[in-house]
Amino acid sequence: MAVSPIPQVAGGTMQISNVQIVLMLIDEHLIADVTWRYWLTSLVLQPAVNNKRVFLPVALDATAFNLPYALREFNFLRPTGLPLPQNDPPGPSAALEIVVRSLLKQLTEALCRLLLGGRETPLVGNTGVPHTIVEGSTPKITIFLSHAKADGTMPARRIRDYIYSQTQLAAFYDENDIPFGAAFSRVLEANIGSSNQTAALIAVRSARYATRPWCRREFATFRRPRQEQTSPGDAERWTLNPTIIVDALDEGSQTFGLPEFGNAPVFRWAEEAQNPEEQVVTTILRDTLLASFHAAVGSCIPSAPDSIVLNWLPDPTTLLHIPRVRAATEDLRILYPGRGLSGLELDILDEFFPRLTLHSFEAMVS
Amino acid sequence: MSGGGKYRSRGVPRVIGLSVSYQRENLLARGLGLEHLRELLLRLSRPLLRHGASLAYAGHWRETEDNFTYDLLRMINAEQEDNSHGGADTGLNIGRLYNHSPWPDFLDITPRIEAQWINSCRIVRISQELAGIASDDRVSDGESQSDSNRARLNVALVLSAMRRMAVEGMTVAIPDVPSPETVPPISARVLLGGKLQGFSGFLPGVFEEALVALEHKLPLYVLGGFGGAAETLAQALLAPASIRPDAFSFEWHRANSSNFEQLVNFSQTCDLPSGVRTSAQALDALYQLIGSATSNLVAALNTGLNEAQTKELLTTRDMGRAVKLVLSGLKTKFGLELLPS
Repeated sequence: MAVSPIPQVAGGTMQISNVQIVLMLIDEHLIADVTWRYWLTSLVLQPAVNNKRVFLPVALDATAFNLPYALREFNFLRPTGLPLPQNDPPGPSAALEIVVRSLLKQLTEALCRLLLGGRETPLVGNTGVPHTIVEGSTPKITIFLSHAKADGTMPARRIRDYIYSQTQLAAFYDENDIPFGAAFSRVLEANIGSSNQTAALIAVRSARYATRPWCRREFATFRRPRQEQTSPGDAERWTLNPTIIVDALDEGSQTFGLPEFGNAPVFRWAEEAQNPEEQVVTTILRDTLLASFHAAVGSCIPSAPDSIVLNWLPDPTTLLHIPRVRAATEDLRILYPGRGLSGLELDILDEFFPRLTLHSFEAMVS
Repeated sequence: MSGGGKYRSRGVPRVIGLSVSYQRENLLARGLGLEHLRELLLRLSRPLLRHGASLAYAGHWRETEDNFTYDLLRMINAEQEDNSHGGADTGLNIGRLYNHSPWPDFLDITPRIEAQWINSCRIVRISQELAGIASDDRVSDGESQSDSNRARLNVALVLSAMRRMAVEGMTVAIPDVPSPETVPPISARVLLGGKLQGFSGFLPGVFEEALVALEHKLPLYVLGGFGGAAETLAQALLAPASIRPDAFSFEWHRANSSNFEQLVNFSQTCDLPSGVRTSAQALDALYQLIGSATSNLVAALNTGLNEAQTKELLTTRDMGRAVKLVLSGLKTKFGLELLPS
């Protein structure tokens, strides 16, 4: 292989963080503690050096809203299930589990919003003004629900209802989300194609999903990587928003596989399971957060022009969307998130793409 | 109407000390009740807060009907909210409450209580250590409610220290914070009611507060028309200097206050922190100050009122009038202009 050597990082360590997130777990003890109040106020008033600093206050009891003035006007994360019952035992309990789950969900959503917003406006830099997730103009995160109505609407509708009742997300569900008179294809393209309006897609794979051209078009369009703008001489950077396939096949029914699904994760829908819609939405949110994070990390990794930086785990379907990879006329290095693919996956990719070498972010920064 | 300079204080932010306590019999004898007292307190406090003055009130934190701590806090909260919602009052610098809380009273203050009122109130805990009590002489928190002589003596010592610190101001070291927090001294003291018997310190609280205020030449507003120790103090200020009222004699208190003699006797067997006066010394000092004040009340009380107004404040039973006089005096002293009624 004739790829250039991997660029070395001065000093042996790499500074890849440019956002400082202050997660404040606020209860009466913090509020009443003068030291905490002093340091939190200092943190708000002192500009971060080379960083954007974002505050995420979590209200653990009713006194949380008595934060110092500079922090009081933020919209707090408010996990459900609080206060805990008075007779709740110390340590893990069912009641505490509800609180933790709720907080994790809200936190994931908030971080998604932060990182997705940051992809459109650079996260680097500091205005001296405390940053919040919701700066007033940050749009809601939209999740596209791709489903074949011919097989019924139930899993998709339950997921949509959950999105609207339990989260601050938005859902693109069906033609009701398309303005009257608008061209279907253009609206879909705007939502799932080149723009950043939709952060993730949930495909409800029922028996006839694979036979519905609009469904397949939605999925294929969404799972097409997008090239980010980079400076001349820099590596190409590509991003892909996450997808999840909800397997809603009835027992004994038959369908066929779709190549565009690639290595997208699959969730088995079970009506009798407890809150399957919560699991689906939580999973896709977590993947969205990770995708945004990986895109941000990837943009900080030094690389040469013969490198292509991805924010997802590569598979043949998605790699083939990248023209330089598809052309197969040069040796290229693919940098991808995580700690590394398995040997089996690397072997398969090597068979498809013999001129590529694959390196994980972990290997690059360690 | 804007919230501009019209209602602003010309002076620096002040802390006004309030000693207001409810004695049912005193007030009933004057045809007054708890609600009248509460109204007086709020009518007095609201304009002060709106001028950026803070209040110092050493009330406890138990939910009892005669406790004014929560009334003051609710008012401060409401004023702060009005101030933050836009409209006529926006832009005012609303004062807050300094609650000097003596040991062991502050042991009742939970983090929840403190957190609930943190933006309206700074709780200043006066510990045994702050009062200068030697470590070997301190009583553990668990024994604070005991009837031991040591516990009673330490309560009295802490109360004296608290009253002195309120007048002199203090700094509070905060762990991990580079510079200590300053608790400003009070600029004036308002006295109303107060126990003459059954008190916990070396002398009635109102007397001790009057003593340190007079010694520091602070403006002292004695509302003598509503009974209690403040009335006794007012009567002494208006009486001829040659007559020493009973309530200013050590013997009278020994005869009329339960536990007083026990406290005094035990204190004589102990090494007291430096600067602490015995009951007899404190009563003598107070009487001397009152004696010298009677010849020139206006100068001694330093209230900003003229002689007629000064005497009226010491005797009036009209709460509205008393409030007006206090605010008028504070306006003269500190530039706190009265709000339109």
